Amino acid sequence: MRIVRSVRHKSCADGSFMKEFLLDAPVPAGFFTYLGNFGQVESIPNIGEGFYRFEKPDWFSIKGFIGDTTVEVRFKKEVMDLTVDFLYFLFSFYREGPRDLSALKQREQAVGRRVRERLYGPE
Amino acid sequence: MARSPPIYLNNAATTWPKPPEVLDAVRQSLALPVFGSGRTTGSQGEDYATLAREALAALLNADPPEHVAFTQNATDSLNILIQGFLAANGDGCHVITTALDHNSVLRPLHELERQGRIQLTVLPFENGFVGPDTLESAITPDTRLMVTAHGSNVLGSVQDIARIGESLHDHGIFFIVDGGQTAGHIPVDLRALPVDAYAFTGHKGLFGIPGTGGFYLRDPESVAPVCYGGTGTDSFSLYQPREMPERFESGTHNYPGLAALAAGVNYIASVGVKTIAEKAERQTAFLIRELKSEPNITVYNESPSLPIVSFNIRGMENDDVGFILARAYGIVARTGLHCAPLIHRAIDGGRGSVRLSLSWFTTDEECRIAARAVKEIAQNADSSVGSS
Repeated sequence: MRIVRSVRHKSCADGSFMKEFLLDAPVPAGFFTYLGNFGQVESIPNIGEGFYRFEKPDWFSIKGFIGDTTVEVRFKKEVMDLTVDFLYFLFSFYREGPRDLSALKQREQAVGRRVRERLYGPE
Repeated sequence: MARSPPIYLNNAATTWPKPPEVLDAVRQSLALPVFGSGRTTGSQGEDYATLAREALAALLNADPPEHVAFTQNATDSLNILIQGFLAANGDGCHVITTALDHNSVLRPLHELERQGRIQLTVLPFENGFVGPDTLESAITPDTRLMVTAHGSNVLGSVQDIARIGESLHDHGIFFIVDGGQTAGHIPVDLRALPVDAYAFTGHKGLFGIPGTGGFYLRDPESVAPVCYGGTGTDSFSLYQPREMPERFESGTHNYPGLAALAAGVNYIASVGVKTIAEKAERQTAFLIRELKSEPNITVYNESPSLPIVSFNIRGMENDDVGFILARAYGIVARTGLHCAPLIHRAIDGGRGSVRLSLSWFTTDEECRIAARAVKEIAQNADSSVGSS
């Protein structure tokens, strides 16, 4: 799955920066389960095809519906330049079925160090 | 998943759809060369500024029509009136506003306070209203100006501006009313109301298009112009004309916008504001009754005077509710702070709310679908599944 382009954006009241992304394929049910490896996922399965919300504190949140070709992402503005690439990787790395996440996890750790340093100072 | 056309319940932001007459007026206004008084030898087009001015003066019972000046929107009007009042009367006075107000009032006033040009008091509210005692106790010998919203864009409450205006005038205080949410929605009689200036926007209840607004000013000398330029009149003079409306209307008008505004106001007049208000009241009461029947839903004003319903669903972010309404049900609402941060600080701890707002074109069936959708989301909020 791939992000094609950003179709809308706005600055939110909570200080975050929202971007709506168009995807090259509808979001499959397994995608949010996969995201659970990198943060917290909440869902309301009985609304539409299923509403999902992924939260990666200090990085970004993603929400959307299964079967939809757009998702809404809210970035923590202060570190958006550090985390936006990882968002693209999260989408492009997704495959149906079992997969090795170690490369993505390593990247997450590296970005995470820089995010913490930016937000909270050197460890 | 989204419905096309959507069920549009964001009319307190901008009304949609517009009456067909409005769309026709915009097209017609561009089909011939525009007629700008004093700016052309042609006589093919209509004088849209005069048409809109006379239509508005009749709707708001404001006379003479020339005391209606056009601007870009209500925010523009309020800035002109506030800055112009200080330009005419000098800095250093005490100004009153309320926590019910929109940023179109709060930001200009707070900026003036930050610059040390005014002292500012923001009155609290209770149950959607500012009490008479609260107002009286805030008035000081230095108070010269009060600026406040007629109708709240979050709570739908309408202030008793007759009573407020009488109190203010007893103390010689100038009264600017933000009519952004009331013009076109409820009857407004500016001949009877003790209001010195009334600001409106074209694209909400008046059914115009974005980019038009204006204000009525009873005594033009009380507010100085803050923008100067060509008016197509008295051009030998190097100073701004003192007369209305040229005093406040520099530069070429937004003719398509004014054509739309005139058509919108004439449409409202043909239906009748009272008829519009009665339908809105019935539909709003239905929505509130339905939402209140769901224990998970908090409605912030159960008896609004405007077709505005603000609510939250327990355990859900208002933004998520708006997202679900739009994507799963094709219902357009608005979420967040609605540019009125002080109201939200008071009613929901600053979290913001979901707002449904109706117009004359909202159908009963749309209200039923919206109520069902919100209740369905609220019923499923408890079934939220978390994992990490």
